[in-house]
Amino acid sequence: MASVASDPASTGPGGPEGPAQSRRALPSWREIGSRLVALREGSIIVITLVVAIYFSVNTSSFLTGGNLETLLPYFAPFAILAAGEVFVMILGEIDLSIAGMYLFAPIIYYKLNTSVGLSLGLSLIGALLICLAVGAVNGVFVSVLGINSFVTTLGTLFTFEGLSLIISKGTPVATPGGQVPVGTFGKVFGAGTYSELIWAIGIVVLLQIVLTFTRWGLYTVAIGSNKLGAAEAGVRVNLVMIRNFMLCALTAGLVGIFEAIRAQTVQPNPAGPNEILFFAVAAAVIGGTLLTGGSGTVVGALIGALFLGILKDGLILQGVQANYLLFYTGLAVIVAMTANVFVGRARRGHTGSG
Amino acid sequence: MVDPDEPNGAIPAAEAPDVVAPASASDDVLRVEHIAKRFGPVTALRDVNLHLKKGEVLGLLGDNGAGKSTLIKIISGFQKQDSGNMLLRGQPYAPKSVDDARAQGIDTVYQDLALIDELSVYHNLFLRRERVFKPLPLLANRQMKREARTALDEIGINIPKIDVAVARLSGGQRQAIAVARTVNSDADIILLDEPLAAMGAKEGAQILDLVARLKQEGKVSIIMILHNYVHVLQACDRVSMIQDGVIALDKPTAETSVEELTDIVVNEYRRAREEAHAEAAQQGG
Repeated sequence: MASVASDPASTGPGGPEGPAQSRRALPSWREIGSRLVALREGSIIVITLVVAIYFSVNTSSFLTGGNLETLLPYFAPFAILAAGEVFVMILGEIDLSIAGMYLFAPIIYYKLNTSVGLSLGLSLIGALLICLAVGAVNGVFVSVLGINSFVTTLGTLFTFEGLSLIISKGTPVATPGGQVPVGTFGKVFGAGTYSELIWAIGIVVLLQIVLTFTRWGLYTVAIGSNKLGAAEAGVRVNLVMIRNFMLCALTAGLVGIFEAIRAQTVQPNPAGPNEILFFAVAAAVIGGTLLTGGSGTVVGALIGALFLGILKDGLILQGVQANYLLFYTGLAVIVAMTANVFVGRARRGHTGSG
Repeated sequence: MVDPDEPNGAIPAAEAPDVVAPASASDDVLRVEHIAKRFGPVTALRDVNLHLKKGEVLGLLGDNGAGKSTLIKIISGFQKQDSGNMLLRGQPYAPKSVDDARAQGIDTVYQDLALIDELSVYHNLFLRRERVFKPLPLLANRQMKREARTALDEIGINIPKIDVAVARLSGGQRQAIAVARTVNSDADIILLDEPLAAMGAKEGAQILDLVARLKQEGKVSIIMILHNYVHVLQACDRVSMIQDGVIALDKPTAETSVEELTDIVVNEYRRAREEAHAEAAQQGG
């Protein structure tokens, strides 16, 4: 994971004037330490490692293959959700409606397959297209009409959770493609053990590349940092904002369908998605993405999600009572965030990173 | 008091006011003729005539509210005049938007600079003109860094590291980068809106040095709004002062002085105050 994390940093250090010999010589521990601090994701990588080592030492079963499989669903879906959310958060906006898309997409997927009679693939595409449309509506409201994104997406969140209840009549149904024996389609889109992990890594790498190495990413940061300035320079602000909201809705709908296929049922209950929304935002923030915009990383969000997953898994393995779980998670988030802020300050004092 | 009807002071006779002979337009990159602009009941510009020669640095003066920002906004395509017209390199010039003006080679460095704090120096320099690996949409960062370094060296801006975020730079360096961006974007007329505002002595000197270097190269023509008359005399070839919506003075800087410029402003202020007093007295009596 650390090697993936180091990719986006290559915009910072290195470069033409960066000494070439330092790349060939083996870095000392001290050097690795200062490199980590220089990374935007550095602090959360350190904190996640510390937590992982703690649980490895204190529980016998943390470092087992079986446990790694239990760990996966605790973080892979959040990593994908957070990846999309990061694109909206860098703009200085927030998308709460990802919980709505997470709930709504599998229901549309189910309806397109069973009521309309489309194939599994077409149903999936149809559901995702509807998510894109909702994302575009969010984006138009926020950018063109200038309505606060919290309010706009709270509205679409309730609307689409409500629509989910209306369409499904509140009853859980069996997910098409998720039933035993699970076919290739189901295995690829969520039911396979490593399916979501592979998707998560693929999406995170792709979106980090988009963020760091394309104009889209550059303009996203530019708008979040100085919207008026970006517009004066000729960036088409509305277009970029709408696109980012569409991306965010797309990743949310995709995860919703993955999870429904993995769980074999579509559960029309907003409580779960609403909690997932908060974990996704938490993963992004812990990973170093600012709520105020202008700065953020997709890889950081993945590690933030990993941190939350390891924390939950480790606490369960340690035998922490179920009722205490959320409480400890809350404390850990506060500690991680505070550490993040302090390491972040150290990083800004550190030279050589952009 | 300088006669406002004689705006061309020591400029050669070819530049007779009002009537523009086509021949005279050849060494003027920009001519502004009889521009007027009202905002509701307020007249910002009454009848402004202005010209800018190729490679010239023109200082635009005037008290707050005199109309200099309005004039800059009209030239930069941000606002439209009510009457009057403009000529760019001898051709009629009526920009539809800021983008349109920019496409025609007129670019403005606004006071807020429009820099993106979180982005690096070179990304700011290349914003909206990024270099990419052609078939792929990936940013050619190394190429942009190299070109940015060359561009900054060429106009003599010393930024030690061009991959740091602009937020870390000083006010003078930021202003320099904003200017470099317009120069780099092939603008040949640059409008600088109070480039020395809120800047320390050393930073201000950096900007004036930069303007001097651009002038030396002679590729760009500059209109600069300034407040400090010492800076005007130091950096500009010519000075135009807007007062009460018209150009009240237009002289080469060599032929004027801080005293003269100050006198004009102070006299105008006294005259306006006496007028107001007289009016008040009339109403009172």
